[in-house]
Amino acid sequence: MAPAKKSDQEISAEFTSYYLQRATQEFAEDLDKVRAADDFKNDALQILVSALQQGTALFSPEEQRRIVTAAPLEDPSKK
Amino acid sequence: MGKRFSHAPDGAGASRKRIKIVHEAPTSEDIHASRQLQQLLAFSQDPVRARHGLQSFKVFLDDLLNPESDHVDRPRILRDYLQFARPADDDEASAYLPDIMQTWSYAGQINNDNVMSAVPIVLALLLKLLSQSLETVPIGLGICRTLLQKRQQELIARNLSADKGKAFIISPTLRMLKEVVSFDGGAVARPLFRARANTLKSLARNMGIVHIGEEAEDLKRPSARTNAILFFLDALKFLQPEAKKELLCQRDIVSALTRDVKQDPPYLVRTLLQELRSRVLLDDKLAREAKSNLLNASTLTRLSALYQYRLEARGGVDDEAPIADVAHDFLVTACTNPACAVLRQDSGFYPREIDTNTAISPAELDDLGLEAIVWMNKFKNEVPVRNYTLSNFLPNLRPWSSVKQSELITSIFKVAPELVANYFLTNKSFTFEPKLSATWIGYAAFLFNTVTLPLPNFFCRGAAFSELPPPTSIVIDNILPLPLNQKALSRSLANKSNMIPFFATRILVVAIEKLDHAIKMHQDPSHSNKTVWAEAARRLVDEFCQRSPGIQEMINSYRSIPDGDILHREAASRLLRLCYEVLPQVALMAKFDVSPFLEKALGRLSTQASDDPRDSALGLKELENLLAIAGYSPGMRWFVASEGMLLSPFTLLLKVCVDAPRGVSLEAIREILNFIAVEQQLVPANEKHPGLLVLLDALQSLRHSKPEAVVNIWSFLDNCLTRCANTPVKYVEKMQEAIQEASDLTGQDLSGTIASPITVALLEQLPFAAAKENGTVTVKALGIFLPKFLGLSVSAGENRALLELIFTKMTTHLADNKGKLAKAGVPKGLEFEYNKRPTAAGTKAKQSKAAASAAAGKEDSQPKQPVMDVEALEETLHVPDGLEADNSALVKWATKTADELVDDGYLTSLIALLVSEHASIRKEALVSILKAAAKIKQSEYEEKDQIWLLLSELAETARENNTINDTPLPGPIVAFATHALTVLRDPLSSLYGKVNSFLTRGPTWALDRLPLVDETLSEETPTGSGGPSSRDNPYYAQINWLLSYLIDALRTPQDLELFHRKRARGPVLERILALAANPYMWLPLRSQVLRLVYRATGIEGGSTTLTTRFGIVSWLEARHAGCEDGDGDGKEAAMLGGLKRRVWETCDQERVRVWSRGGLGGGRV
Repeated sequence: MAPAKKSDQEISAEFTSYYLQRATQEFAEDLDKVRAADDFKNDALQILVSALQQGTALFSPEEQRRIVTAAPLEDPSKK
Repeated sequence: MGKRFSHAPDGAGASRKRIKIVHEAPTSEDIHASRQLQQLLAFSQDPVRARHGLQSFKVFLDDLLNPESDHVDRPRILRDYLQFARPADDDEASAYLPDIMQTWSYAGQINNDNVMSAVPIVLALLLKLLSQSLETVPIGLGICRTLLQKRQQELIARNLSADKGKAFIISPTLRMLKEVVSFDGGAVARPLFRARANTLKSLARNMGIVHIGEEAEDLKRPSARTNAILFFLDALKFLQPEAKKELLCQRDIVSALTRDVKQDPPYLVRTLLQELRSRVLLDDKLAREAKSNLLNASTLTRLSALYQYRLEARGGVDDEAPIADVAHDFLVTACTNPACAVLRQDSGFYPREIDTNTAISPAELDDLGLEAIVWMNKFKNEVPVRNYTLSNFLPNLRPWSSVKQSELITSIFKVAPELVANYFLTNKSFTFEPKLSATWIGYAAFLFNTVTLPLPNFFCRGAAFSELPPPTSIVIDNILPLPLNQKALSRSLANKSNMIPFFATRILVVAIEKLDHAIKMHQDPSHSNKTVWAEAARRLVDEFCQRSPGIQEMINSYRSIPDGDILHREAASRLLRLCYEVLPQVALMAKFDVSPFLEKALGRLSTQASDDPRDSALGLKELENLLAIAGYSPGMRWFVASEGMLLSPFTLLLKVCVDAPRGVSLEAIREILNFIAVEQQLVPANEKHPGLLVLLDALQSLRHSKPEAVVNIWSFLDNCLTRCANTPVKYVEKMQEAIQEASDLTGQDLSGTIASPITVALLEQLPFAAAKENGTVTVKALGIFLPKFLGLSVSAGENRALLELIFTKMTTHLADNKGKLAKAGVPKGLEFEYNKRPTAAGTKAKQSKAAASAAAGKEDSQPKQPVMDVEALEETLHVPDGLEADNSALVKWATKTADELVDDGYLTSLIALLVSEHASIRKEALVSILKAAAKIKQSEYEEKDQIWLLLSELAETARENNTINDTPLPGPIVAFATHALTVLRDPLSSLYGKVNSFLTRGPTWALDRLPLVDETLSEETPTGSGGPSSRDNPYYAQINWLLSYLIDALRTPQDLELFHRKRARGPVLERILALAANPYMWLPLRSQVLRLVYRATGIEGGSTTLTTRFGIVSWLEARHAGCEDGDGDGKEAAMLGGLKRRVWETCDQERVRVWSRGGLGGGRV
């Protein structure tokens, strides 16, 4: 059963959420340091989130679709 | 008589408290009859009485205005009173409410503040009440007109200009004026404005009487400022455009309007912004002059203070947007909508002062190039702009501390591109020095947004390109804005955190993409002055390289990313790939060996089945980037498994393809694999044959039917593939033998049969498979795989009889106890399940080539171009002078450590100075080299002895016979020294031994020879791990090194002389040209030979020598013909064609014509 094709907007939203999740995972340690910095106040969290998710612009809509809709790479030895 | 009214509920109370004046509370009484009201308001010289009357009337009006109150017969009482207070004849001079007016006037005479305040209070209430009913409007209008009579005007003016502390007088007056100006749809707005000398008296000052106190301004007790603004806004609403324009031109008022805006209560700020938006910004009828008078830089700056507005009630009304957002929307509209009169039309990247259509004579442009354009270099420190308001406003914003402010700036940049360069030139104080802080991240995000802005169409606002290119400094400031300089970016890339290099990488990615776009715009075919645009494009690339970190730093940054950080790895590999695509010359200089990275990435993908499939897909993106880089860089070792890896990169890649589920796009990877397989003669290079897809499909089929079996054959398959790749000739021959055998058996003529050499390699290795560990499992798996593979080979068009014969031989080793396999034979009619058979195999081959060649994607869409034009040729074949003098090297080296001297290129720059034209520099360089040699010798540097030896021999050579005093050292000597240095740094280099034995041979080098050339070229039968064709063979790595060194060596006619001097084994150049005929040489290496030829054509007399001494034209033609023989790649043929034309254009044509007896110079070139 093939799921209905997702719209570009859905894909973009899903990709952004994936990107943020990856980024927060990869830079967890650095993000903690930023949060502890003196200038972390007011809009800083918003800045941080928006800065991180800017990177989605590097991926074309097709690339985003490819990544979001990826099926698992199976490991034959586990079968 | 209600005590609760003892304090007037207006502004009076607040100010009274402030200035500590005790006022007597007014008294009042209930009104029951019209007659009583007349008496109360009748003129009296007793202020207490007058105040009592007015206060009673106020209470009476308050009640009427309260919709919830039971008015009883109050409306009638008021009506009767108003009839009474109406003048007998309604003309201009007659006054309404004469008693009240007289009371007011008298209060003015005796300076009674309380009465002066009480009169406008009741009048404001009365007008408010009268405006609510149509019947009473005429009376209200009468009152308004009465107020505009001279006597009353003066009273108003007097009230308005009361002492600042007397807000209890000023505020009611402003409220009254607000009612007047808006009464009956602004019926008296015009005369009111005409009397502005009185009615707007002290308005600007009154706008400055703000609420003072810790707590927010009380809604019910608005300050004088609030009242003044509300009056002003109503005036804007009801005035005609002309009058409105005049009002907006009152500078003091307009300036006071926003001066204290950040202390205003929220509702007032909202109303102000909303009204200004609809009455000024978006009013089409209002003159631009008036709009721009309001929206000057200081107004914009004050409004931008609302981004930090602090007076909003917490948990306020839910559906109201925060003030910061409202202000943001206002500013975005004001600054980006041309109708608002702030934004002015600019001309893109062409600054204000220049005239793009200035005619410059073609001769001048030809002679001087970009230098002929006087303004080309003028805007490096200052860019004049048309949008001066915005230019003054922008520096007041803080894009690093607020997302919205950053958005505002970039949306302004988008509509006014001229401001980008200007902004960063005038805001130099904020640097990009890396620091793990919110501010740095905010700034990085802002810069990222700036870099991603699109380039303006045609760089200007026109419908086509201008005659002349825009100033390069401005283009580069838009691609890498000034704060993104080399130092800051390098330090960011090298920062020890993970996040800072990640941000820097992403910025560089978008910058290179933008650069690519800009270059393409410079190369647009519609340009009339093509050479000038091409020169500008080159300059752009140079400038970019000066601002961007070197590729080595990008590589180092990539190297240091932890394995698990796939997002970061993807970005960094993308950056490197872009470097190879957009800046190939710079990228290739780095000598980046991509193999280890590729293997790591492959290893990760093929071993770790990640939990999240999206991670794997991201990993595939990284792999794709690396593959593209591998395609661009010479010397990729596809068939050598590096330490710690069980399989070669090729097989690993194959495994990734096989393990990927359906639907994952692997087209790029498949193309690369097939290209390598064809190049290495694993599979036939025939248009009708699907190439490696046969093997791939058989493996995928096995993977799906028996997933456990496929695991067991990788090692065996890898062995076969590497053997076949390393000694292709052997297997081609074996295949021929098999064909002959099949032919003899069946009696068919199989001479034209197509067959994959890999099949024979599989057959040959099969007997050894069983002997290995887990042999039986492997053999069992092969029993399923091989029939499938051979069956598909038949479907692919290979000869059945031949494959049957091979299969029979295979079955003897395939644990075929009951003879089932042998009996079944090669299966028939197998279909390709997983790979689409290309309809036109030719296209496939061509595509895959394009994917791997440096011309990826650019050429195949266009018709084949036989000759490359001048710019493209230069771009492909020009190599910057590796020995270019940088005199600063003389100073820089002294403070560096031995490691830095050798590894960071300081020594190389120093050595390069030995070719300087100036004897003093050469001598100084020599002294420095000797000192540096001594320094290294005493250091802990690992290769210190060899490096010392190299430097000492170089110095000795330079000193011998006093050479260094007379002439520069020959290019080859110096180039050799610099290139030998890179070899000595890396003991694993295949040239390490050669260079060392050369150094130990003697204390000086012969000046008339090219060091180490003979030794490298004479290795005629390449030895090494593979056979003659193997690209993993160190021979090719050495040739690659040699060619880079020779290109750097060839700089002057004297150098060229060394290249064509007769020698025992023939002139060096002749031997290099012969190299290109080696069929095993890859395109990158062949291109290096062409680069050497190109370099020679740039030397005086070079092309003539090449033609008359080396028959270069015939050589190029032969190479060209070789390209067209099936194995053709459009790019190489075009390169050769272009090179031939260049040779002709740069040679002494008369001499060559004579030399060739007219053979050259006609249609041939």
